Amino acid sequence: MNLRIEEIGDVSCVAPVGRLDFDAAPGFQEALERVMSGAGKSPAAVIIDGTGLEYVSSAGLRAFLLAARAAQRSGISFALCALQPAVREVFELSGFSRIISVHPDRASALAQAQQGRV
Amino acid sequence: MTARRTAVPADAAQLTVLNQFVREFWAAAALSPSKMQTFELALEEIFMNVVMHGSQPGITLRVEVSLNLGTDAVTMTVEDDGPQFDPLSLAPPDVTGSLADRRVGGLGVFLVRKIMDTVSYARVAGRNRLRMSKRLDG
Repeated sequence: MNLRIEEIGDVSCVAPVGRLDFDAAPGFQEALERVMSGAGKSPAAVIIDGTGLEYVSSAGLRAFLLAARAAQRSGISFALCALQPAVREVFELSGFSRIISVHPDRASALAQAQQGRV
Repeated sequence: MTARRTAVPADAAQLTVLNQFVREFWAAAALSPSKMQTFELALEEIFMNVVMHGSQPGITLRVEVSLNLGTDAVTMTVEDDGPQFDPLSLAPPDVTGSLADRRVGGLGVFLVRKIMDTVSYARVAGRNRLRMSKRLDG
């Protein structure tokens, strides 16, 4: 799995590309932790862009859960967007779409992340 | 009818081999790729369960996987020679808890039950056998 990280203002957009399976999950989790701890300064929000995410297993869900929890503890807003149908199905079946915000596209996730901050 | 069988040691490094096995079966059976991920996901969850919970120190279990194309469904069988363990006997995880309350384990088998049409367990000749099937239409 590859990872593309973009900074848009104080929002970090993380775009995983490929399969988030048992092999890839630990590296993904570490990358999210690095993004959230920031180089001195934490982002206000982290958005995971799922456009290129083809597959997620329970190992990947675990990485999302731990990251979302770490974000909550640090006061960082955490959301997903643009999930492919197969990935979205796994999120819905596992009940994760109830505990982690999922937006249809990056623009709406960014708008939500910026709401309430001037 | 297309049928394939493979056997691998219960080692996480074998996951890529098993994914390749599913893809080759799918190509040989000339199936549309739409349901392939369902089988890849179920196989990862069941296989990793055996890897993480079935093995004892110094003993690597052997896992046998077969895929069969029937008239309107694909059946997958995963067998291991570990101690008797029925993953379907596990209590389902609470999928309604809050972010802070959600447990990180137990989701794999839950997902398999959700994405497959049928899942059954049997202890046969000293082996655990989990059989799953999914219809190809719809």
